[in-house]
Amino acid sequence: MKISERYGAEVMVIGAGSAGMRAALAAAEAGAKVLLLNKGPLAKSGITLTAAGGMQVPSQPGDSQELYWQDTIRSGYGLADENLVWAMAEDAVARAADAERYGARFVRDADGNLAIGRFPGQSQPRNRFFKGGGIGLVTALAGACRRNNIIVMDEILITGLLRTWSGSDGAVAGAIGLNLRTGQLVRFDARSVILATGGCQWLWEVNDCPADATGDGQVLAYRAGAELIDMEMVLFYPTVIVWPESLKGAFVHYEFLSPEILDGNVYDTAGAALLPKPLPGRDEAMRLMAAAITAGRGTAHGGVLWYVGDSPQGTEKVRKTLDTLQYNYIRSHGVDPASDRIEVAPGAHYLMGGIAINEECRTNIAGLFATPECAGNVDGANRLAGNGITATQVFGARAGYYAAQWAGEHAAAADAAEVDAELARIAAKVAASGKNARHVPAIRRKLRAAVQRYAGVSRDGEGLRRLLAVIDEVQGELAEVRVPFAGVYNQQLKDVLELDSMCETARLVAGSALRREESRGHHFRSDFPQSDDANWLKHTSVKLADGGPVYGTRPVARIGRYDNC
Amino acid sequence: MPENAIFVKALRFDPSRESAGRFEEYRVETAQPLSVMALLAKIHDQDATFACRTSTCFKGRCGSCLVRVDGRDVFGCTALIYPGQSIVVEPHSQFKVIRDVAVDFAAPQAVAGDGVGAE
Repeated sequence: MKISERYGAEVMVIGAGSAGMRAALAAAEAGAKVLLLNKGPLAKSGITLTAAGGMQVPSQPGDSQELYWQDTIRSGYGLADENLVWAMAEDAVARAADAERYGARFVRDADGNLAIGRFPGQSQPRNRFFKGGGIGLVTALAGACRRNNIIVMDEILITGLLRTWSGSDGAVAGAIGLNLRTGQLVRFDARSVILATGGCQWLWEVNDCPADATGDGQVLAYRAGAELIDMEMVLFYPTVIVWPESLKGAFVHYEFLSPEILDGNVYDTAGAALLPKPLPGRDEAMRLMAAAITAGRGTAHGGVLWYVGDSPQGTEKVRKTLDTLQYNYIRSHGVDPASDRIEVAPGAHYLMGGIAINEECRTNIAGLFATPECAGNVDGANRLAGNGITATQVFGARAGYYAAQWAGEHAAAADAAEVDAELARIAAKVAASGKNARHVPAIRRKLRAAVQRYAGVSRDGEGLRRLLAVIDEVQGELAEVRVPFAGVYNQQLKDVLELDSMCETARLVAGSALRREESRGHHFRSDFPQSDDANWLKHTSVKLADGGPVYGTRPVARIGRYDNC
Repeated sequence: MPENAIFVKALRFDPSRESAGRFEEYRVETAQPLSVMALLAKIHDQDATFACRTSTCFKGRCGSCLVRVDGRDVFGCTALIYPGQSIVVEPHSQFKVIRDVAVDFAAPQAVAGDGVGAE
């Protein structure tokens, strides 16, 4: 395959969820010529669409930047980058105002007062809700991108970054991508690149994300020499639906089980309630649920039963609380969340680890920026509800601003050898008539089953080593696959490229989880069930060197406030 | 009609090479009802050359699953099909086909921009 199209920009943003679009807007407002790329159709793909929790904004009386910072640091079990969290706490109010300026609407009562929620771990009520949830936010940002003359190219799967040269001090200079509309390869030249591709939750059989979440951005960065940190830190949402089959991946709110909201519980098949009250944090809840499932107290589909049908808050409150798009979607599948027992299990929800950044969203590669969820050191070992979207808006804006500034001061030209190497990598996956291409779904199932089993809620050294062996096998099988050259919308090639990213991220998750020989937040090692503050109040880190991952650790940035919590 | 499978006649069409499409028949084993979107994903797993959308918002809203079933434009993620049923699946009528039932939501722009999925 050859390059058939070529485009240039000052700032190139990869991924058009709420983080990528916010970054594109900030870069455009700073005067840069911006290209925004998305592997699916704009506003019809990406992880933000599934967001239901809203955004934390410390703007209520009695709340403060300091309290918001403390809550987030405490929730992260000592692994959140304190400077990044301070930046988030500092900017959240302004970024919420920006979201409204771009056309998103927060839920308000008839008098115009903001609806404010308080979820577990939030010391003050500070959770705002977008009208239309994540879809409302994405729709507004997409409209703002169009109004700001941002060039949006969707259906572009970026396969590799290009650097000025292949050494460790090479600066980013662009990327190669597959244009799904034409089936052709495209070259992009840019002075700075922002990665905003989300996480890799599709690696787990139980997850609540669209199939887009294949770890593309982490792999692009890793292969270009970026440092990734805390890749073992995957947030599992406690209550993801596992049955019926076509509802898999939808979730019901864990938060609604709290006494102030619907006061429900999760039950085993014998009818025993699994959760204490007040409701524990999500990490503790998912371990209680996973333990019941592992002990054989779950359903045939590996779930336990979320139930609010006997809520002491009354049927009227249940009906009103569950009268949303999300719950009507569940009803359309013949399941009534107000009265039925819903089969749920902990599912991969958010990747807390990822590309290491500083407060300006810079990576260790010149010109390469990243923003959460794709970036990694904001949350630590657990993430508060509502911080996912706040992080997209705060760090998206920062990434866009600093990437535009960088682009104004630096030129970059991709090394021809970088282009050739990436083209060769893709060419090796394609052959005129194809080979073993029909095995791809089975290879993917094998990988996902192993990740679910060995890198889920409970992990141990033996299982993680077994997972690494499965990944070797899967990568070996994938190396024997050639997809036919199919022209437009070559979904087989997309499948193979995504599976390639999934294998690489699975390896980094397993390798990092193996090295963290302790339990902290969402990373639970049954062979090291205690936290080890003496040795592990630090990040795991990984970089590519000599063709493979090299693991290390790195200290957590402190600004001296942790002692106050 | 057996009650452990759903039968799908799906349009196969590559407008870059062909002037018209043709229907191909697939059988999807299932004892449970499935959304059209889940059905199409299973067909893609059986026959990787069959192109369809796989991203979803889990709310019946974003519209990535828009498709035409038995002559009606529907949201594929909330249209439920039962074992024993036979359906005909075509691309959504308001957008240009890229391949098979995957359509280009950016064409026409006026429809993709604000109308669909954001009612």
